[in-house]
Amino acid sequence: MRIRTPLLAAGVAALAASLLAPTAMAATKKKAAGPVFVDLQNFAAGEPDHIDPGLTSTLTGAQVAVLLYDSLTDTDASGTLVPAAASKWTTADNGKTWVFTIKKAKFSNGEPVLPSSFVRGWIRATDSKFASEVAYHSYIIDGFQAWNEGKGPAPTSAVADDKKMTLTVTLKEPFLGFPAIASHPVFSPLPKSMEGADAKVEESGTKLVGNGPYMLKEQITKQAGGTVNLVRNPFYPKKGTLAEIDFKITKDVNAAYNLFESGQGMSASVPAGKYKDASAKYGDAGLGTVLGTDYWAFNWEDPVVGGAKNVLLRKAIVESIDRGQISEQIYQGQRKPTDQLVPKGIPGYRTGLGLGVARNVDQAKKDFAAWQAAGGKIDTPLRLSYNEGANWDKVATIMAGNLKDAGIDAKLDPFPADGTYFSKMRKGGGQIIRAGWFADYVLYDNFMFPLLDSASIDGDNLPRYNSKAFDGFVSQARGNADLTAQGNAYAQAEKLALSEDVVIMPTVNRANNAVFATKVTNVKSTPLGFFNYPEFIVAP
Amino acid sequence: MGSFLLKRLGLALLTAWAALTVMFLLLVAMPGDAVTNKGGEKALNSATQKNIRAKYGLDRPLIVQYGKFFGNLAHGDLGYSIKNDRSVNTDLKETAKTSLRLLFWGGIVQIGGSLFLGFLSAAKKGSIIDRVTTIASVAAQAIPIFVGGLLAQVFFGVFPTQHKIGWLSFNRFWPNKWHLGVIPAESWKGIVLPAIVVGLVQMAFLARLLRSSMLEVLRADYLRTAQAKGLSRRRVLVHHALRNALIPYVTAAGLALLEIFGIAVQTETVFGLYGIGSKVAEAALIQDTPVVLGLASVVIVAATTMSLLVDLSYSWLDPRIRVGEKLAT
Repeated sequence: MRIRTPLLAAGVAALAASLLAPTAMAATKKKAAGPVFVDLQNFAAGEPDHIDPGLTSTLTGAQVAVLLYDSLTDTDASGTLVPAAASKWTTADNGKTWVFTIKKAKFSNGEPVLPSSFVRGWIRATDSKFASEVAYHSYIIDGFQAWNEGKGPAPTSAVADDKKMTLTVTLKEPFLGFPAIASHPVFSPLPKSMEGADAKVEESGTKLVGNGPYMLKEQITKQAGGTVNLVRNPFYPKKGTLAEIDFKITKDVNAAYNLFESGQGMSASVPAGKYKDASAKYGDAGLGTVLGTDYWAFNWEDPVVGGAKNVLLRKAIVESIDRGQISEQIYQGQRKPTDQLVPKGIPGYRTGLGLGVARNVDQAKKDFAAWQAAGGKIDTPLRLSYNEGANWDKVATIMAGNLKDAGIDAKLDPFPADGTYFSKMRKGGGQIIRAGWFADYVLYDNFMFPLLDSASIDGDNLPRYNSKAFDGFVSQARGNADLTAQGNAYAQAEKLALSEDVVIMPTVNRANNAVFATKVTNVKSTPLGFFNYPEFIVAP
Repeated sequence: MGSFLLKRLGLALLTAWAALTVMFLLLVAMPGDAVTNKGGEKALNSATQKNIRAKYGLDRPLIVQYGKFFGNLAHGDLGYSIKNDRSVNTDLKETAKTSLRLLFWGGIVQIGGSLFLGFLSAAKKGSIIDRVTTIASVAAQAIPIFVGGLLAQVFFGVFPTQHKIGWLSFNRFWPNKWHLGVIPAESWKGIVLPAIVVGLVQMAFLARLLRSSMLEVLRADYLRTAQAKGLSRRRVLVHHALRNALIPYVTAAGLALLEIFGIAVQTETVFGLYGIGSKVAEAALIQDTPVVLGLASVVIVAATTMSLLVDLSYSWLDPRIRVGEKLAT
């Protein structure tokens, strides 16, 4: 057989060169001054929407944003509101006007962080042309809603005094929880170099410049297979323990976990069904409970399950559900059973507002019989609506089985995992609706107003719950300067929705699902789900 | 020839325009849109939805959106993703590179592996090698790509790492740097598992096809005569049996290479690669119209160009066929 020798030789030479290349490259690569952390958990399930603090609406994008930017305030691991870019804040009129004193600091490009930097950032993030999905957090500030809706000029309700280093913010109405809202990344400052920067700036080299502990190392590739590389901000007062953080972007949680177990990263998201195995191997520092709740909502407008006349049916349903079974079988105990919407850790939290965590099939049967005796009738099986993926089908299967034990006929009502599910549910397309909520900030109001107030119908009020009494309690809480009285009003609202009107059925509290290599220690997370990367310790 | 070329070019453009128009209409006819689907568990308020629609021109009349899409396309501007503001041109450049590299290495596995195994099975018919190859081929075709990919990651990544058999660990990141476009300049192990997974299914099919073709040729009278005349076994197998068996194999291999495109979508997902197929599929699910139309338009233009080139190549391959001439009846 004749061999084309020159061609083969060229091929072998090219292959040899490629195999030798990594060694040569490794030898010439500049060594990082400290540990390089390769993260496989944050973007395990896909790329972020954005990492720009003015735009990101996802927890994964916000995790990077909070490393790049410091807002005015922050929440620590215990859930306490602590100073971030602001050293202190005061109000002289029960929460209508707030004065924040800004710390002396610098952006990663050396520009000083001034009160006017915040005004610049806020105006940009809430500009209607910028079309941010998180701009609505600013609506509580006077004039910002009109600006975001394109109905008013750039607001002047945030006044910067760069000499005195103060930022005075006037709200639409008094609200004592504003400093907590001001911890959201959307309230980050912006340097002059980013004046007029549009939504594409995050992928334009390293032009996204912040005041946080880290900065972009190089242009990011915001797609699976890409990486978001961060290095220390040289101007940040407290040096982070990690010299570099490489957030790897993958598409599949199982595949990312396999890469982690193959020694390719230092953290991973735990795939469903592997919690016990993963926590036994790697510890549970990344598996703690966060401020989020899984729940099922009853469509208030549905003729069978909705309205005041069907409260006994809803009670029977809630009483028949085995939350412990959901917690153990689906989450291997990682997500804890709950009967309350607002989780522990939110100021004002108290127990005894729901119908009880324990299952009570006998009571469920009695309530169901009473509802039937009063004329209630189920002609077709009740629909348990959910979006496919994330094991919601398994949760719904357990629930349908639980309901059968109480004599209540229910069936699974799956929707494709394509994003249309929630838009359909918001329009009243479901009967018993799978839902969940993560806190944006550590406030009771963040669960009550968006999820159950009648002003949020067509929005996140999925049950389309319309109760004047409930709205009254929320309004009373919002306008109350006394924190105890405020907490009481919110608790009354929650009790009404969960125990009296039974419009929502919480099942389990949400939890982080990350594991870290055994050489990584000092891992903590805030109740909002952010990890303390700048404090991680990586053993050599 | 000139008028034929012009006519075919016109037809190709018409086909591309019709395909894109149908896609555009299908996307706008689907219930909901990328904006309403954006919110997930947290809803977008009406002002935000309005702002996003205005930003991407989705608030304009359909005919204006349609005209703008084709106008931008004519200037090579494929638009921006509604999901994350990413340039579709950038997406195309990056996804196409990944897909082509995956197809290149998958193709090598597919062709190289099937030639080797098919030949070996036929040459050693009835032996243990033949039986094992046959069983493995059936199994490779039966295992879904997703399962196969994850199993490969465990057996050639997790297991060797945990048992400190580093040389067997191939579950690595896809390389970022390349020589000559297709040779990895770093982390070469990262291409091994995706290439095997993407090439395996069709490799198994082609190996079985080659085996049966070769066995059929080996049973032919002329080969029995050649063997009886004392021709060496090696010469009979390589020069006669393999050569003749390659004709049906080549036809099937061409089609199998095209089928890799479909398999690549799943492989890209399971290995977290950023390929054109998985990108289009993902964008279609969330109705990210600029991404779907932008990437699809390139695929459609490429397909119609290929079709045109194939038509033109007939006359080159077979001089009896002349372009632009009707066949005699």
